Amino acid sequence: MASKPSSRSEEIQTLSELLSRLCVKLTGLSGDAVIPHFQLALNLLRSKQSIEDEDEFRIVERLKKQLVRHGREKDAAHFVDLHRKLQSQMLLRNRSAVLKLFQKLASLEDKTQQNKVTSDAFFSQGLPSHLVSTPNSGIHVRGRLNVLTGDQGRDNTMSLTGGSSGISSIRGKDLSSQDPTPVAQSFMPSHLVTPALGLNQQTASHAARSRTIAIFGRKPEDKENVYNFKTVSSSLAVAADISSNEITQQSLLKDLVYVLQGVSGRWIKFDVVRNRMDLDASIPKCYKQEIGKLSESGWLYIKIKSYIDQHSTDKAFGLVGQSFCAALHQELTEYLRLISVLEAQLEQEVDPGLQDSCSHITLAQLLVWTYEPLQRLKWLGELVDTCKGKKGGALTSTIFSYTHHGDTSVKSLITHLLTFVSQPIYATLLRWMYDGELDDAYHEFFVASDPQVKNDQLWHDKYSLRKTMIPSFITMDQASRILLTGKSINFLRQVCEDRTPTKGREVAMNLDLTQASSMFSQDQNSDFQKMLDSVYELTSQHLLDVLQTKYKFLEHLKAMRRYLLLGQGDFIRHLMDLLEEDLAKPAGNLYLHNLSGILEIAIRATNAQFDSSDILRRLDVRLLDVSPGDTGWDVFSLEYRVDGPIRTVFTPECKVMYLRVFNFMWRAKRMEYVLAQIWKNQMCSARQLKTIPELSPILHTCHMITSTMVHFIKQVQYYINFEVLECAWDELLTKVYEAKDLDYIIAAHQVFLDTVLSRCLLNEKSREILQLLRTLFDLIIEFETAQGVFFEAATSEVFTREAFDKSKKERTRKGEWETNDEIERAEKSRRNSFLTAIIPSTRAKLQVVSSAYQDTVNRFLKMVASHPDASLRFLCFRLDFNEHYKVREPRGRLSFMRAN
Amino acid sequence: MPREIITLQLGQCGNQIGMEFWKQLCAEHGISPEGILEDFATEGLDRKDVFFYQADDEHYIPRSVLLDLEPRVINTIMNSPYANLYNPENVYLSKHGGGAGNNWASGYCQAEKLYDDIFDIIDREADGSDSLEGFVVCHSIAGGTGSGMGSYILERLNDRFPKKLIQTYSVFPNVDEISDVVVQPYNSLLTLKRLTQNADCVVVLDNTALNRIAADRLHIDTPTFAQVNQLVSTVMATSTTTLRYPGYMNNDLIGLIASLIPTPRLHFLMTGYTPLTTDSQVANVRKTTVLDVMRRLLQPKNMMVSTPVQRQGNNHCYISILNIIQGEVDPTQVHKSLQRIRERKLAQFIPWGPASIQVALSRKSPYVQTAHRVSGLMLANHTNISQLFDRILNQYDKLIKRKAFIEQFMKEPIFKDSLEEFDNSRESLQSLIDEYNAATKPDYLTWGIQQAGAL
Repeated sequence: MASKPSSRSEEIQTLSELLSRLCVKLTGLSGDAVIPHFQLALNLLRSKQSIEDEDEFRIVERLKKQLVRHGREKDAAHFVDLHRKLQSQMLLRNRSAVLKLFQKLASLEDKTQQNKVTSDAFFSQGLPSHLVSTPNSGIHVRGRLNVLTGDQGRDNTMSLTGGSSGISSIRGKDLSSQDPTPVAQSFMPSHLVTPALGLNQQTASHAARSRTIAIFGRKPEDKENVYNFKTVSSSLAVAADISSNEITQQSLLKDLVYVLQGVSGRWIKFDVVRNRMDLDASIPKCYKQEIGKLSESGWLYIKIKSYIDQHSTDKAFGLVGQSFCAALHQELTEYLRLISVLEAQLEQEVDPGLQDSCSHITLAQLLVWTYEPLQRLKWLGELVDTCKGKKGGALTSTIFSYTHHGDTSVKSLITHLLTFVSQPIYATLLRWMYDGELDDAYHEFFVASDPQVKNDQLWHDKYSLRKTMIPSFITMDQASRILLTGKSINFLRQVCEDRTPTKGREVAMNLDLTQASSMFSQDQNSDFQKMLDSVYELTSQHLLDVLQTKYKFLEHLKAMRRYLLLGQGDFIRHLMDLLEEDLAKPAGNLYLHNLSGILEIAIRATNAQFDSSDILRRLDVRLLDVSPGDTGWDVFSLEYRVDGPIRTVFTPECKVMYLRVFNFMWRAKRMEYVLAQIWKNQMCSARQLKTIPELSPILHTCHMITSTMVHFIKQVQYYINFEVLECAWDELLTKVYEAKDLDYIIAAHQVFLDTVLSRCLLNEKSREILQLLRTLFDLIIEFETAQGVFFEAATSEVFTREAFDKSKKERTRKGEWETNDEIERAEKSRRNSFLTAIIPSTRAKLQVVSSAYQDTVNRFLKMVASHPDASLRFLCFRLDFNEHYKVREPRGRLSFMRAN
Repeated sequence: MPREIITLQLGQCGNQIGMEFWKQLCAEHGISPEGILEDFATEGLDRKDVFFYQADDEHYIPRSVLLDLEPRVINTIMNSPYANLYNPENVYLSKHGGGAGNNWASGYCQAEKLYDDIFDIIDREADGSDSLEGFVVCHSIAGGTGSGMGSYILERLNDRFPKKLIQTYSVFPNVDEISDVVVQPYNSLLTLKRLTQNADCVVVLDNTALNRIAADRLHIDTPTFAQVNQLVSTVMATSTTTLRYPGYMNNDLIGLIASLIPTPRLHFLMTGYTPLTTDSQVANVRKTTVLDVMRRLLQPKNMMVSTPVQRQGNNHCYISILNIIQGEVDPTQVHKSLQRIRERKLAQFIPWGPASIQVALSRKSPYVQTAHRVSGLMLANHTNISQLFDRILNQYDKLIKRKAFIEQFMKEPIFKDSLEEFDNSRESLQSLIDEYNAATKPDYLTWGIQQAGAL
């Protein structure tokens, strides 16, 4: 097939050569002067050819029918007979042409009364129509197109025109390789060939050629319905007008060429102020409609052009806007190129050497040729309208909304535009995702950065999504993922001081920006999503790795648990032992440096010493704000200093939460130790005080109260240990291990703290319960004091009695009476007065403490049981495991107190 | 180093179980029989310093005092691979070397004579600790040295260290077999008085139950001392894990036992352990979830005390329970298990106060491989322990009625003048039994008041 076009064109070449020689001979002219004649001759030949092509049989049939219709059956039969004879004798070659002549003559005869036309007029009338429509060339074009597009047929033609009109600069090479120049030449009407070819060679623009292809490629389809009837009829009118009107179609066309370029012509003027077109009154009415249609292109051209002019100099319009303008500009350039082809064609026709009557381009023709560009212009105009005032991502969103148009040509136009327009966004996106750099001077990208924010808040506050600028083809999810990826890189670079480039960065940066289309063709392929996912995963994973390895996130997290959440039990125990004395002092008398020293001792003496020095270095003492009446216990707190990247997880807010939890647990722990101390004192005193049996009821009461308190505090501690810490911690660790990005860890950590806080009764809802718990703690301290007073008195009594016994023995040794009535009496009354002094007062004191404690516990349990947070019921369950309190509830207080 | 514990191993039995205990601790802390820290154990999250002290960078020495009146067991230890583990100055053998002849009074009086020597060692150990938490005494109550010398040392420890805790691991005699120690009831009674009055916490290791467990649960027909002692050392080691592996709770002995012991005298604890297996039959234990472990711990057959804890028809009940669970435990399972146990009323608690099952999760030594995913130790204060005392009291009564073998005791200074000590001890034990019985009733709250009223 490839050889065919060339042989054919050779044939044409030789034919036209012969013809031109004939013309030279006949006219006697030479050189360029003969060209018009040659042209005419060529056209004449063409029209003849077309007649020849007309089906002989059909003409005969038509003539036959005509005769029958007029009631001349005999003539008809005669005609058939004659025709058969003519056919058998090979005398006449152009049989069908002759027959056609007959048919025309016959029909003319019918209309003689209305319209007398000479045979001359007939020719002048008929020829142009054939010249313009060039029916045979239509067929040729169809054939050629097949050659051009190979065997893929029309679909491919469509895509090719769409593609070629758009990405001409890119696809140019491909196109030229599959589009041999002679072909392009041949499927244009021959009268257009020369100038068009010249233009092609001059500009070497494939785009223009492909545009021409687009126009003429479309032509064959329209041939039957548009050309055959419309052009014929309009050219009839034109032909009639030419003689009668001053404004010829030719000059109008010339005017229109200007108009198409948005320039006012002689008769057709643009009124810039009123944004309308003025037609000269002398323009024949019959043209007005066509002119109107044609000038629409011009009007649109102006509109688009002015948009471009207005914005291309506006720097604030941004890169996306500039791309938009450039894309529009490209479209307009191509449009102008077409116009210039048309103009060249016109120029040729109005060559001074030729008569006006030879005009070959008509308005209608122009209409058809500009039909497609007009449609494009219309869409561009529409875009320009809707995009007014928009920029950046919003602009692309608007353009994107047009890609859903059902018309494939519109779709391809918009897609082409969008590819252009989204390139800056894509470039920014790549830079952002791979380098973390935000190259966005005009705030077009959907990630915004706040330069005011310092590095320690970088993760949380520096970057945000600019919602209006998110192109609609990027989902919110993707957008936040993109934000996260770039943020991670920035975080790595600026906070973690890690400059490892993302894997695949080089490749990605070298890829040309045509990949931009992957953003908005996500419904067809998932390349973009894949790219996002892989970069996101790589970056996030790298960030997590850096946090874990370089910044030892997990170790710090565990250290926080060990120190701020009292996980390192032996250390906490020892620290409390050492601090006991200091913390009993008023808060104002505490000195940080003393406490820090004690902290250091506690670390050295316990397993805390085996922690890495980096962790221990961060551990410090902190005193909370002192309010009047506070003791050291109220204000003491441990602090874990964090810096660098992990501050992003352990934010100051988090630290405050840790401090609150520490304070709560520290108090609870203290109660545990206070009670252990009380218990130990009892065990020790029990041995001493058994010498005073009168005290045993009080001792027993003390034991009972202590065991209730120990049980309570122990169960609270077990609750904190399991329900608060272990369970929440378990969850946190699972999440930290499965985390894909830092945000996930931050969220998990926040959930952990919230859970711990609420289960430790530290949130707003539990305030009253916490208050009761504090009351219970206070009562325990009160009980400790009361028991302490009692034990002190009792122990000194024991010593007094021992001394008394000793003195008795001493006297015996001296040989005196061991005792006498007076001494005995004195001792007895002393003992009695001790017992009457100590027993009732201690009993009363214990009763007060005990019943207050009992009441508070009952209230506490009731409130916990009815607390909205179900996890607090675990506490209730633990405290009332053997249903002791439930049984006792109606009675309200300890019965042994009544017995007292 | 804070909260140190000094271990005293008294007599034949005490030294045997003591030796097993140290073997176990060495294995768990990655310390070689020579006391050298193994290479794999250098990075420790465990607290070795509670039971050991550090002689130099990697040399650990047990805070242990080995005392005996006859050389057999101590010689065995000194000829074992663990000979160099102990501080030789802490190993004290009576020069007399004749033992106590299974006579409490002999042991007691010999200890009295050796007071200075013994307390030189103990004082030195105590001085070597920064903040001594207390003493752990390993002994048996049936023989002569462990019971007699043990009793004497308990009394003196109270005097010298009134603020220190004393915990004992006391082996109670096997009542199922006829003992060659005929005066066992005397010895037991006299020791029990000291255990009641001078100790803060007594972990009862009932030989009857231990042998029964060895036979029934481990299918060993005639368990050796070593096999029984293996059980004992497991119990001892596990009950101290929370001290040795610091966590949020139970990091000191006092915290551990304070919640178990409501009144000073009710301090006799039973133990239970699961899964009970010998090395050869570890696969027998199928499921080991937290609930399984906790439920099995409440079954009498796993208790190491030969008194049925939940016999129908009596009101005996748990005063307190502490389960120390080791292994891979999902903390969320603990609560569910507790709920299940309460729903099924698997444990009967005291009627006079709040009580719960305490569950402590403890780390397991990474150096000791066990086949069990989860294992558990129960320390329980149950009123039914009084039946054990009752049995001893009955046996004593039978003997004393006939004044059988009493002359051996009367040879010793303490009984030279009178047998008052027997009566005292009996009275003390009886009142302990009474108090345990009283603790089964709701009016235990007013028990002391009734007593006072009676006076």
